[in-house]
Amino acid sequence: MISVGYLGKELRRRWSRTLVTALGLAAGVGLVMGIMGVSNGLTAAQNQALSPLSTVGTDVIVTRTVAPASASSSTASPSASPSASTRQPQGGGGFFGPGAGGSSRGGAANQINDLNATDQAALLNANSSILTDLSKLGPAGTAFTHDFFVPGTLITFPDAAVQDVAKVEGVQSAVPGLSLQALRESGTVPALTDTVTTGGQTLTAVARPAPLTDAEQAQVRACIQASGEFTPPAPGSGTRGSGGFPRTGGANSAFTKCLPERYQQYEAQVVVPEQTITRILNPPQTDTQSKTYTVAGVNPSDKTTGLITVDQVVSGSWFTSKPANEILVNTAYASTNGIKAGQTLAINGSNYTVVGLVTPTLTGNISDIYFDLNTLQAVSTNANRVNEVLVKVTKSSNVDAVAAAIQKQLPGAQVLTAKSLANQVTGSLANAQSLANTLGGALAIIILLAAFLIAALLTMSSVAKRVREIGTLRAIGWSRGRVVRQIMAETVGIGIIGAVVGVVVGLGVCGAVDAFGPTLNATTSGLNVGASTVNLFHQSSAASVSQNIHMQALLNPQIVLIGIAAALVGGVIAGTFGGWRASRLAPASALRDLG
Amino acid sequence: MNETTAKTEGAALLYELHGVERRYLKGAAEVMALRGIDLDIRAGELLSIEGPSGSGKSTLLQLLGALDTPTAGTVHFEGQDLSRAGEKTLTEIRSERIGFIFQQFNLIPTLSAADNVAIAMAPRHVSKSTQRERAADLLSRVGLGERLDHLPSRLSGGEQQRVAIARALANHPEVIVADEPTGNLDTKNAAGVMDLLVGLQSAGDVTLIIATHDPEVARHASRQIRMRDGRIAKHATVA
Ligand SMILES: Nc1ncnc2c1ncn2[C@@H]1O[C@H](COP(=O)(O)OP(=O)(O)O)[C@@H](O)[C@H]1O
Ligand SMILES: [Mg+2]
Repeated sequence: MISVGYLGKELRRRWSRTLVTALGLAAGVGLVMGIMGVSNGLTAAQNQALSPLSTVGTDVIVTRTVAPASASSSTASPSASPSASTRQPQGGGGFFGPGAGGSSRGGAANQINDLNATDQAALLNANSSILTDLSKLGPAGTAFTHDFFVPGTLITFPDAAVQDVAKVEGVQSAVPGLSLQALRESGTVPALTDTVTTGGQTLTAVARPAPLTDAEQAQVRACIQASGEFTPPAPGSGTRGSGGFPRTGGANSAFTKCLPERYQQYEAQVVVPEQTITRILNPPQTDTQSKTYTVAGVNPSDKTTGLITVDQVVSGSWFTSKPANEILVNTAYASTNGIKAGQTLAINGSNYTVVGLVTPTLTGNISDIYFDLNTLQAVSTNANRVNEVLVKVTKSSNVDAVAAAIQKQLPGAQVLTAKSLANQVTGSLANAQSLANTLGGALAIIILLAAFLIAALLTMSSVAKRVREIGTLRAIGWSRGRVVRQIMAETVGIGIIGAVVGVVVGLGVCGAVDAFGPTLNATTSGLNVGASTVNLFHQSSAASVSQNIHMQALLNPQIVLIGIAAALVGGVIAGTFGGWRASRLAPASALRDLG
Repeated sequence: MNETTAKTEGAALLYELHGVERRYLKGAAEVMALRGIDLDIRAGELLSIEGPSGSGKSTLLQLLGALDTPTAGTVHFEGQDLSRAGEKTLTEIRSERIGFIFQQFNLIPTLSAADNVAIAMAPRHVSKSTQRERAADLLSRVGLGERLDHLPSRLSGGEQQRVAIARALANHPEVIVADEPTGNLDTKNAAGVMDLLVGLQSAGDVTLIIATHDPEVARHASRQIRMRDGRIAKHATVA
């Protein structure tokens, strides 16, 4: 019901008007596509920052991090204090204890003081192996290297929790993970003790005892007389008080025998007993150097879900059927430490074969070395204990509900979803993303409205210039509707041109963003939220991971279609205004003198 | 009271105008372009309308051409009251029954001569090929068989007006209403266009109503009307 030939010729022969209107629409469409592309690119970048969750097929991560003290935490259940030596597998969610619900208050720096008593005890206990008596490593002076494994801020719990999580409705699979901080101490065994020997000397003591009493003198005299060796002087002869002991001849021996006990004692030599004193030196003086790295235990049979997956192996292979002495090494860690697939690494006296190198995608929870879970549990004295449960849900739309159900099942657990992790992405990427989402949307609408307005005004002005032409069409028998449709067809045609040019402009805008766009920074706080920033035992914190992402505008067919649709809508809007204007022109306008 | 020529005597009444007034609002001022016109036009007539500029010739032709309706009085066309007719009826009459020719030619500048003729057939249920054929046929009838693809800008004034005549004839109208068709033409071209129009009328194809200043044109007319200040000042029948 339109004249196609007329339409084409009108657009072609009034090309400047066609072009100006189409370019107006194209500019709007191109800019909007650019904005949407940037927004899309930022979303993709953010997804990339969080991709471990999606690529490992993990929807929910359950951990038990140290919780800040809360009003009720003083009555923590006894089961919430697992100690390294008395760990007992426990059923149910009891080992998660209460107290995790306390809202974090104050800055992170204060949080160690805010830990509830139970958590604090558990954490210190679990991390205490680092204070092992170094003398056990060998005699002083021996060079040593020893790796200590501590859970850092992620408290371990019995792996029975994995089954508990698996039972929650909506959970497709629940896989255990054990992420530990490793502290490599190397140096020489310090002299921890100092031995000192005392005693063994012979001493002669000289003393002056009190004079004999009369009774004692009488007794001595009787004794000597009985022995027949000595005739004592007559009583009162004045010898008393002289204190002189007759010490000559045989009479002397008899005299000695007859002296009272306390006089004999002074004749003895004193021998001081010999003894050895070991002094414990505290603290030990040592040249020990320490290096931290992170390790994780994964179940080799869980190839496609968990902390690391088989498709993240970039060289070598996944664990074999005998994984006990096999490890996977993060490519980043491998390159800084010159580790290659196939070589062996000695850790605490055992040799581990590097079966493969892996690139775990970025999250708050990447490790440098991946062990078989059983092996790591054994070497870190964490038998049957894990500190993460990685959950895949049956329906992705269910993630929040399942997370809530797990939280209910395991009070005290920290249940994180990919979405909640997304909310923890900070840095310029997050800023740009929120800017793109809020400002970008408004800007896109304003730009589109401006483009539509320009197109409408240009069409109205074109109609005004064609008053006599339109009047003539009416005068030779065109109906009002036909004229309006023709105008509409023209502007839609312009819209189509605008769409084509706009898509090209949009591609150009996106290309320009790719070429000249800024580099954005994304910081993922990852798993160890809450008390994560507590940096116990000078370990490097793996809780926060930062990465730089180049700002990119990512176009997809949907955006291109939206751009095309926007241009067509612009054409229809312009045609509506122009057509409305044309419909008001009477056939007699054909005779209007336009000057 | 209405005089008729011998030639058209007894022919059917094509137009009947009674007390026709056309008032324009020019800002606050009111202009009475027509102040009570009574006029009958019979089929086959060649009616010339003379009068000074501003006397209301164009206004009267717009009413006859169904481009406009009177503010008072009635315009009957073949018994149908155009002053009460709806938009759809007027459009149909303009399309099928009446061909209008303008002083300024009023060709669509972006369309070729052939296309300008063809778009008049667009509202009719006529195939594109028939439209093209008929356009070519009509253009060769007005002497432009070699100019089908020329844009108006490449045609002389006389040629443009011939295209306009071909366009007016496109849907076999009963009436051709021409508002000073030679007003923008030189004498030679004016004569050619006039001969063409008069030829159509004398062949018996159409009724021709022409507003003109040209005394030559009036000579061809079977009836002459002279207008002044929106009224018919003089009514004469040429023998
Ligand atoms: N559309 C219009 N609006 C206002 N006044 C008009 C309009 N058309 C014609 N007139 C006025 O009506 C009068 C008659 O004009 P017109 O019919 O064009 O005369 P003519 O064709 O004889 O020169 C003039 O005064 C003119 O100014
Ligand atoms: Mg006039």
